[in-house]
Amino acid sequence: MKKLVKYLSPFAPDQSGACGVLYELGGLMVVCDAGGCAGNICGFDEPRWFTKRSAVFSAGLRDMDAILGRDDKLIKKLTVANSQLDCKFTALIGTPVPAVIATDFAALKKLAEKKTGLPCITVECTGTHYYDEGERKAWLALFSEFAREDFDTVPGRVGIIGATPLETSMMTNERIVSKCRAMGIDEPVVYGMGSALEDVVRVSSCERNLAVSAAAIPACEYLKERFGTPYEAAFPFLPENFKEKLSKAEGRALIIHSQLIANEIRKLLPEGQADCASFFTMDKSLAREGDTELRSEEQLLDLLQSSRYRTLIADGELRKLFRPASFEGRFIQLDHFAVSGRLWDTEE
Amino acid sequence: MTDAFYITAWDLAAAGKDNIPDELRSSEHLIYSSPATLSFNSPGARGFGVKRAGLAVPGSVMLLVAPGCCGRNTSLLRTNPEYSDRFFFLLLDDTDIVTGRHLTKIPKAVEEVCQSLDKKPSAVMICITCVDALLGTDMERVCRKSVELTGVPTVPCYMYALTREKRLPPMAAVRKSVYSLLERQPRERKDMNILGYFSPLYDDCELYPLMRSAGIKNIRELARCETIEQYRELSKANFNLLLNPEARYAAQDMQERLGIPFIELLRLYQPDKIHNQYRMLGQAIGAQLDDSEYFEAAQKRIEAFYEKFGALTLAVGEILNGDSFETALMLVRNGFKVAEIFGTVGELNFSFVKRLAELSPDTKIYSNLSPTMLNYNEESVDCYIGCDCEYYHPDTPGIDFCGDIQPFGYAGVVRLFDELEAAMERRTVR
Repeated sequence: MKKLVKYLSPFAPDQSGACGVLYELGGLMVVCDAGGCAGNICGFDEPRWFTKRSAVFSAGLRDMDAILGRDDKLIKKLTVANSQLDCKFTALIGTPVPAVIATDFAALKKLAEKKTGLPCITVECTGTHYYDEGERKAWLALFSEFAREDFDTVPGRVGIIGATPLETSMMTNERIVSKCRAMGIDEPVVYGMGSALEDVVRVSSCERNLAVSAAAIPACEYLKERFGTPYEAAFPFLPENFKEKLSKAEGRALIIHSQLIANEIRKLLPEGQADCASFFTMDKSLAREGDTELRSEEQLLDLLQSSRYRTLIADGELRKLFRPASFEGRFIQLDHFAVSGRLWDTEE
Repeated sequence: MTDAFYITAWDLAAAGKDNIPDELRSSEHLIYSSPATLSFNSPGARGFGVKRAGLAVPGSVMLLVAPGCCGRNTSLLRTNPEYSDRFFFLLLDDTDIVTGRHLTKIPKAVEEVCQSLDKKPSAVMICITCVDALLGTDMERVCRKSVELTGVPTVPCYMYALTREKRLPPMAAVRKSVYSLLERQPRERKDMNILGYFSPLYDDCELYPLMRSAGIKNIRELARCETIEQYRELSKANFNLLLNPEARYAAQDMQERLGIPFIELLRLYQPDKIHNQYRMLGQAIGAQLDDSEYFEAAQKRIEAFYEKFGALTLAVGEILNGDSFETALMLVRNGFKVAEIFGTVGELNFSFVKRLAELSPDTKIYSNLSPTMLNYNEESVDCYIGCDCEYYHPDTPGIDFCGDIQPFGYAGVVRLFDELEAAMERRTVR
């Protein structure tokens, strides 16, 4: 059965992706749920929660709030919280509950802005999609709300768009910044990690952007259209200790990760000897023939059973498929936080 | 920026239980998911939430029918070998959550799950979430269809966070679910069950010898059942001893369906109140329960701790095996100071607040869930109880006291002070 998951656990959902993008920007984020979704985000999908405070709240919806569509109550709670905290904007993030009752987020945005006097971002998540979908919507909403002014370009300033712990399996931007400097980028601005709302406002001052996830490409496209900022898509930040492990690969390899990371790994393997697959967004222009957009656990089992691959490069969780797929090839582990909740060990 | 909201015990008692400030009522404000409150907001992440609790039936498996987000933190549970191959997911898409078309797929999914296992499960627990709460799904009917197809008992578990403050919150509903597979059989006069928790009581709890002294031969607990056959014996009980109000609905259901009456006790830490409960329990079952030896041991343990450490000032949290306010009251009555309580005030524990107001009027009462807790400033205390307090007092000695195995009665009091003493001594060594 296509939607039956027997061996793996569900991956990080879209609302976690949306929160991950906005987490460090000083906003008041309201997850429109009954409590569990916000708890999952904070307790599981957001590793920064235990080291860096952020105003992420649950709307605490109850059945009658949902059935009667008490938007006024939600806005009242938001307004009270805003008066108690010093936030720069508000954000309303969807979950399955507003999806079922067809919450009008555009109306909520207007109401929230009127009551708080602060800009409001809405990200219509449903909990049925993965983190990349929430990230895509959040990056777009963020830049279209705040990046309005055309600033003078600053030579050497490069915007790194798409880096979140869920995508990069890193909790801080340290590695990305140091790698950028080594690549000759004087002033990397890693959006969403170690940068502020003011950096988002001034994004037009970047001489170019680097999309480090497929989910960030639509935002980069938007910035290109709006300010003429060119961009490229790549993830040149693989850990060195992982690269060393690739020498163990033999035969044809299947790389399962987010698309840009998988593509980066492929570059390090002999030409024509690897295919990429992902459960997350795959940009067609960055895919090669033989790459697969995975829709189900069943589909991946079939792929592993096909005997086409002698090496699998993926998150450690995927080992659980070896027995049911009778896969006996080599395995090279590169975790993906959105899959297993494990961060990279970047000690080198 | 507003400071973290608190109210003193005196002011709260004076306001009365019908005038609890909005900041202490979770339905009236946004809910702050601080690391201190993850057990509230993410019940699957710590302790026994619906998912873990639903698997209390030995040999059962769970099929979570929900959007992927509801099953996300199950990865954590699956790292525990006991649960690694007991969770399955039927993921819903946007069309499913609008049309409810997924319901027709469930029996087939249950069949496929059963076929994928080396051994047929004793039961399949179908866990559903907020989406089905709003769709008004008749899961009982879907379960009957599954039983027809597979022959495996299938029961629903309702993880409806939307109904958390209702008459039947998720943790009460799941208790009914896990006992619902029991069938009526002749009751044994000398058998009883302990109801309330998904883990057993500590073996050294005096409740066991006290009940044996009253002629009880078999004391059963769900968590001690290792096989489905042992589980089925639970319906032989002459009566149920209910130790947690969250299991009251399950006890009522067992009374109606299986003819097993129940007696309810509270988990308390004030030795004189524990004594009163045992006295009344003895009266209810027609036996004299001599608890003097245990009472004295508990009282002596408290006194010894006081002698060693003096009138310590403590913080008491709400993620602990006990009621925050009753625990605080016990401490105050025994000469300790309680500077702050992180807790949820309700009808059941308001009487403790009133008593606390008389003895310790300045004790500050905070709500873990208030957004203003983002601005909490640490107050100096000597020690804390409760794993949520660890977040507020990271450099202070203290105890989580929220493990799976359950403390109860006088043995619980002794354990509490044993653990506190160990924590204080670790600080001394440091």
